[in-house]
Amino acid sequence: MKIEKLLHKLQAFFDADKRKKRQHIEELKKILLKLKKKERKITHALEQTDEDCLIKHYQTELEIIRVQRKKGIEVLQQLKERKKLNSPNTPSPRIVPADN
Amino acid sequence: MHKALLLIIIPLLLYGFWLSAEFKGIAAGVSIFLFGMLSLEQGFKAFTGGVLERILQKTTDTPWKSFGFGFMSATLMQSSGLVSVITISFLSAGLLDLVAGIGIIFGSNLGTTTGAWLIAGLGLKVNIATYAMPLLVFGVLCIFQNGKQLKGIGYILTGLGFLLLGIHYMKESFEYFESTINLAEYAMPGVKGLLIYTAIGIIATVIMQSSHATMLLTITAVSVHQITYDNALALVIGANIGTTVTAIIASFGANIQGKRLAGSHLFINLLTGIFVLIFVKQFGIAVDIVSANLGIAASDNAMKLATFHSLFNLAGIILFFPFINQQVLLLEKVFIEKRPAIFQPKYLDVSAMDFPETVVESVRLESIHLYENAIHIILHTFGLHKHDLQKSDSLQQLIEQNNQPIDYDIDASYDKRIKGIYSAIIAFISQAGFTWEMTQSAKLSWLREANKHLVEAIKDTKHLQKNWIRFSTSTNQAAINEYNKIAYQIVLHIQQIENFRHEIEGNELPLLSLDALKATIKNDDMQMNRAIEALIREQKITPETGSSLINDSAYMRNIKKNLLKAAETLFLHSSTGNAGVEQQLSLNETEINDVVHTVDTQ
Repeated sequence: MKIEKLLHKLQAFFDADKRKKRQHIEELKKILLKLKKKERKITHALEQTDEDCLIKHYQTELEIIRVQRKKGIEVLQQLKERKKLNSPNTPSPRIVPADN
Repeated sequence: MHKALLLIIIPLLLYGFWLSAEFKGIAAGVSIFLFGMLSLEQGFKAFTGGVLERILQKTTDTPWKSFGFGFMSATLMQSSGLVSVITISFLSAGLLDLVAGIGIIFGSNLGTTTGAWLIAGLGLKVNIATYAMPLLVFGVLCIFQNGKQLKGIGYILTGLGFLLLGIHYMKESFEYFESTINLAEYAMPGVKGLLIYTAIGIIATVIMQSSHATMLLTITAVSVHQITYDNALALVIGANIGTTVTAIIASFGANIQGKRLAGSHLFINLLTGIFVLIFVKQFGIAVDIVSANLGIAASDNAMKLATFHSLFNLAGIILFFPFINQQVLLLEKVFIEKRPAIFQPKYLDVSAMDFPETVVESVRLESIHLYENAIHIILHTFGLHKHDLQKSDSLQQLIEQNNQPIDYDIDASYDKRIKGIYSAIIAFISQAGFTWEMTQSAKLSWLREANKHLVEAIKDTKHLQKNWIRFSTSTNQAAINEYNKIAYQIVLHIQQIENFRHEIEGNELPLLSLDALKATIKNDDMQMNRAIEALIREQKITPETGSSLINDSAYMRNIKKNLLKAAETLFLHSSTGNAGVEQQLSLNETEINDVVHTVDTQ
C-alpha cells in the first residue's frame, strides 16, 4: 500500500514536470508568434516612413526581433528534442547481446 | 525707460557743451569721477570669491560687527552702492541673514560720509591732480599684469586716480564757472527751496548712480558760492535718498531677501531724510557746534557740509539701529515671499510604513509621478508637451516648427516640479529602509536609483539647453540641423518609452522591446558622431562647433540612457505573464552590439 502511494506521487511529479515543459513550449510559441506580428507591423511602418532617423530605428528594431526570433526558435527546437527524448513512445535503444 | 532718459540727457548735454566750456569741464569731471568709481568696483570684484567672503562671514555674526564691516568696507571702497550690491548678492546666496545685511547698510551709510570729508578736506584744498597721476600710472601698470589680484589692485589704483582727477576737473571748472555765471541767483530760500533741492539731489543721484558724484558737485559748488548753504543741505539729503537706487536696481535680480534689504535701505534713508528735513534748522545748529569743536571755520561751507552729511547719517543710525529686529519683521510682512506652487508628493503616506510592500508600491507610484514631471521638463525644453507625442504629425516636423528656443528656466522648473517630490521620496526611503528584510530594501534601493537617473537626465538637459539655444539662432544651417536632430532623437526616445509603457499594459513583450531601445541609443550615438566628423571634414562646421556637438550628443545619449533605466525599474515591475520566457530571448550586451553593427553595415 505504501509503495503504491509512493508510485502515485512519483508519477504526479513527473507529470507536473512534463506539464511545465509543455507550458514552456506553448509560451515560447506564443512569443514567437507575437514577435512575427510585431515584425510585420514594423516592416509596414518602415515602408510608410521617409524620415531618416525613423528608418534607422525601424531597421534596428527589425534586426533585434530577427535575432530574438532566431534565439527563440533555437530554444524551441532544443525543448522539442528534449521532449522527444523523454517521451515514453520513443523506442528505447535495444540491447544487443555481444557476439561471442 | 533708460533709453528714453538717454534721449533727453544727450541733447541737454550737447546744448550745455555748446553753451559753456566750463559746463563741459564739469560734466567731464563727473564722468571721470564715475569712471573711477566703476574702476574701483571692478578692482574690488577681483577680490570677491575668496578674501571678501571669508571676511564677511567672520565679521557679520552680530549687528554691531555687521555695522563695523559696513563702515569699514564703504570707507575703503568709497562706494555704499558697491557695498549694498555685494551685501544683496551675499544675502541672496544665503551667506548672510537680513539682520546682518541691515547692519551692513547702516555701517555703509556712515562709511560713505568719509567721501565728503575727502572731497571737502583734501580735494578742495590740495592740488589732488598731482596725486592722481602716479596712481594712474601704477594702476595701469598693474592692470597689464597677468595675475587676477594684481589686475584688481591695478583697477583700484586707477579708480582712485580717476576719482581724484574727476574732483580736480570739477573744481577747476567750477572756479571758471564762478566768474561767468552765478548759480546762486537760482537759490531758493525756505521750505520750497528745501523740497525742490532735495528732489534735485535725488534725481541727480539716480541719474549718476552715485551719491559721491552728487556730493562732489554740491561741495564744489558750495565752496565757490555757486549755491547757497541751505540749498546744499537739501541736495545732500536728496543724494542720501537717491543713493538707495543702486541697491534697488541690484535687488531686481535678487531673491526676496535681497529685495527686503533694498527695501530696508530705502526705508532707513527715506525716513532719515524726512526727519532731517523736518529738523533741518536744529541740524544746522548742531553742525555749527560740531564744526566749531572740530576747528572748522564758520565760513568753510564745504567742510560744514561734510559734517552735516556725517551727522545726518549718524541720526539715522541712532533713530533706527536699535530697531533692526522690528524692521526685519516689518520687511517680512511688506515683502511677502511668493513661493512657487511646488509640486508635492501624492502617494507617500506615513501610515503605509508598517507594510513593507505598500511602502515599495507608494515609492514606485511617486517615482512615476516624478518621471512624468521630468518628461514634462525635457519636452518643454524643446518647446513640446506630452500631448504632442500622441499627435499624428511627424515629430520631426514638430521639432522643426518649434526650433525657436523658448526661454524656459529649467532650474525654476526643477525647483517647482522635481525638488519637492524627489526630496520627499528620498526622505521616505531613508525612514523606511532600516527595519526591513532584504527584498523590500533592495526594491527601494532600485527605486532610489531610478529617481537619481531622472534627476541626472534633467541636469543633462540643462547642459544641452545652453547650446541648443545658442545654435538655434546661428547662421550655420548644418549646426542647426544637427541640434534639431539631437532634440528630435530625445523626443522620439521619450515617445518610444511611452509605447513601451503601453506594451507593458497590453503584455506585448515589453522586456524584448527594451533590447531595441538599448540598441537604438547605441546606434543613434554612433550615427551622430559619424555625421559630426563628416561635417567637420567637409568644413560645413568649425571644429569648435563640432566639439560642442560631440559634447551635446553625449548629453543626448546620457539623457536617453537615464530615462530608459528609470523606465525599466518603474514600469517593468507590473509586467506579468511570460516574463521568464521573454528573459530567455532577450539579448545580452554582445548580441546588441552585433545588431548595431549589422544595421550599420546595411
